[in-house]
Amino acid sequence: MKFGKRLKQQVDDTLPDWRDKFLSYKDLKKLVRLTSNNVDVINNNAGADFVFLLNSEIDKFNSFFVEQEEDLVIRHRELRQRIERILESWDPHGNEMENHKQDIREIREDIVNLHGEMVLLLNYSNVNYTGLGKILKKYDKRTGGLLRLPFIQSILQQPFYKTDSLSKMIKDCEVSIDAIFPTPKQQFNNENKPNISVGSEGIFRNTVSALLSLEEIRRRSSTYSHFSLPPLNLPDSDLIHSFQLNSPIPIL
Amino acid sequence: MKYVPYFDSRMKIEASPALSIPSSNARQHNSAGVNKEISKSLRVLLPTSSEEVYPKLPDSQQVSMERELVSGPLVHSNHVHSSSGVVGHIFSSSPGFSTDLHYSSVSLYENQSDSPFIPESSANGAMLHSHSEILSSTNHPNSENANSWCSDALPGFLEVPESNPVGNSRVENNSCSSLLVSDDFSKENDWQEWTDRLMTDDSLTSNWSDLLVDANVADLEPKMEHQASKPSIKMPVQQVQVQNQLPSSGEIPMIATTTSSNGAPSKPRMRWTPELHDAFVEAVNKLGGSERATPKGVLKLMQVEGLTIYHVKSHLQKYRTARYQPESSKGSMDKSTTPLEDISSLDLKTSIDITEALRLQMEVQKRLHEQLEIQRNLQLRIEEQGKYLQMMFEKQCKSSNKLNKPSTSTLEDSPFSDSVLETSQVENRTVHTGPSEADSIAGKATDEVVEKFIDPQKDAPENPKSDVSEASFQLSKRQRTE
Repeated sequence: MKFGKRLKQQVDDTLPDWRDKFLSYKDLKKLVRLTSNNVDVINNNAGADFVFLLNSEIDKFNSFFVEQEEDLVIRHRELRQRIERILESWDPHGNEMENHKQDIREIREDIVNLHGEMVLLLNYSNVNYTGLGKILKKYDKRTGGLLRLPFIQSILQQPFYKTDSLSKMIKDCEVSIDAIFPTPKQQFNNENKPNISVGSEGIFRNTVSALLSLEEIRRRSSTYSHFSLPPLNLPDSDLIHSFQLNSPIPIL
Repeated sequence: MKYVPYFDSRMKIEASPALSIPSSNARQHNSAGVNKEISKSLRVLLPTSSEEVYPKLPDSQQVSMERELVSGPLVHSNHVHSSSGVVGHIFSSSPGFSTDLHYSSVSLYENQSDSPFIPESSANGAMLHSHSEILSSTNHPNSENANSWCSDALPGFLEVPESNPVGNSRVENNSCSSLLVSDDFSKENDWQEWTDRLMTDDSLTSNWSDLLVDANVADLEPKMEHQASKPSIKMPVQQVQVQNQLPSSGEIPMIATTTSSNGAPSKPRMRWTPELHDAFVEAVNKLGGSERATPKGVLKLMQVEGLTIYHVKSHLQKYRTARYQPESSKGSMDKSTTPLEDISSLDLKTSIDITEALRLQMEVQKRLHEQLEIQRNLQLRIEEQGKYLQMMFEKQCKSSNKLNKPSTSTLEDSPFSDSVLETSQVENRTVHTGPSEADSIAGKATDEVVEKFIDPQKDAPENPKSDVSEASFQLSKRQRTE
C-alpha cells in the first residue's frame, strides 16, 4: 500500500481531535507534481509553495505535539498520585481490598488509556516524520532538488521530534502499571483472541492501526535507498492482525 | 530546572551554516552564510516601482527611507535593497544593518538603472497585491493566522537575484540578494508601526523571518512574471542556478515559519517537561491549591528563566481542568469509546476478565512503543550516516576538483549514485571562485598531470570557464530531472 493511503487510514482511525493534525501529504504531493511538471515558469512558484506548506506543517506538528504533551504531563502526575494513594491502602498480601476494587479498576483503565495516548502521540511524531521524509525524497527525486538533507537535519531538532521526555513518561507509566496490575494468571492464547473486537475510534483500535501501518510502511519501499528503514518484524504480528480480522467494523 | 523554549531549535538552524555549502568557500559564505541561501530561495524578481524612489535611498537611513515611502506619492511602492550581505546582517544584528541597507540600496540602484527587465510598476504592483489577497484567502494557514503587525505591513518582501554578473566567474558572489519591500497602500499606519518597532524591537530576528515567509507566499505571481522575462536577459546559466539554489534554501524558510504561524512571535511556546510541571505543582500547593493560586504568584515562586505569565496562566488553566475531572481522567478520551466498553459490551458473557482485556491493550501499546523507539533509533542512525556520507562525498569531490579543476567530466561521467551527483553539483559551485584561488591551487600543484589540466584554464579568460562548467552543470541537471 502506498504511504499516502496508509496515512489516510491512520488519520481515519485516530482520535477525532487529531484528524486534522497529521501531515497534509496529499497537498504536498500535489505541489511536488506541480513543481516538477512545470519546469520553466511555475517551477519556483510551486517550489516556494511547497517549502511554505512544509514549514507550516512542521509548525502545526510542533504546536499540537507540545500542547498534547503538556496535557499528558499534567494527567500523568495526577494519576501517579492516585496510584500512590491506592498502593498505600493496598493489602499486604497483594489482594485487592473489597472497597478499593472499583477504584483500582478505574485506575487501571485510566493508566492504560493514558499510556495508550502517550504511545499514540509518539506514533504521531513518528508518522509525521516519516511522511516528511517521504515527501522530501519525492520532491528531490522529481525536481532534482536538494531539499531533503538540510530539511531533515533541522526536523530532527524540532520540538515534535524531541520525544525523550515523552518516552520517559511512557516508561514511567509502564512501571506504574506493573505495580498496579496483578501478576498475570495466564498468557494470552488463541482462545481469548477471537473474542476481542476493536471498536471505532478507541485508543486500542488506534494502536492496532498504528502498528499495522508501521509494519506496512516498513515492508518495502518502491524507491529503496540508504535512507530506507529495514523491514519490520513484529513478534506477534499474527495476533495483531487477528484484531483487525475480527473487528466488527473492519479497519481496512 | 528544565524548560525548553520553543525557539531553541530554530536558533540552531539559523546558526548552522547551510549544509550544502562546502567549507572551502569561506570567503563567500562567512557572513552571508545561511542567509545567502534565503536569498536564493526567495529569488524573486519583483517589478520595482519607479526610479523616483531610488535616488533617495543612498543618503537616507533605513527608517527615514521607510517614512518617505509612507508619505510618498506612489500608491504601491517598492523598496529594493541589495547586496549579498544584507540578509545576513538583518538576521544577525540589528544595529549594523541600516548601513548595510544603505550600501545595498546604492548598488541595487546601479543595477536597476541598467536592468532592462523591470516591468511597469503599477501593473505589477497591483498584481502583486491582488495575488497576495487571493493567497491569504485560500488555504495557507500561515497567511491567515499570521496577522501580526509585520505581515500586515509587508505583503511582499522579495529578493532580486543577481541582475548582473559582473563579467567574471564568481556568479555566486555577485548575487545581489535584494530585499524588495512592497508597501501595502491600505496599511500605512501599520507600516509606521513597523518602522517604529524596527527601531526598538529586540526580537528582530524572528520578525524578519516572518517577513521573509510572507514574501514567500504572497509574491508568487510576480516571481513567475520575472521568470518569464528572465531568459532573454540572462545566460541560461542563471536559470540553472536558480533551480539549484532553491532547494538548498530549505532551512531558512523553516526558521521563518516556525515563528510565525500563531502571529505571536514574541511569545515562544513553553515546553512543559515533567520536571517543570513538578515545580509548578509545588508552587501551586504552596499558594494554597490550584484554585487559590494566581499565575503571578506561581510565576514568582517558580523562578524559571524564560517563563512568562502567559505560560503559567495557560498551564494553570489546563491544570485546573485536569483536576476537576481527575477521577476518570477523561479529557480528549471522552469522545472515544474505551476498550473496556468495547470489549465488555460484546463479551460480557464470555468471561474475559476486564483486567485481562486491559492487559491485552497494554501489551499492544507496549509493542507499539517498543517498535517506535526502535524505528526512531534507526532513523537517527540513518540520518547520521547520511550526513556523514554527504560530508565524505564533499571532501572527495573537493579533492577531485582540485585535481581536475577545469575538467567537468566528474559531473557527467559520474558513476556514483544520486547523492554523489548532488554533492558534486554543490561542489561545482566552488569551482568558480575567481582567479586568485585558481592561481593558488595551480601554485600548489606540483604534479605534472595536474599542471597540464590547469594550465589551459589559467590562461583562458574567466568567463568562458564559468560558462563551460555551468553549462555542464545544467546538463547534468537536465539528466536528473528527466
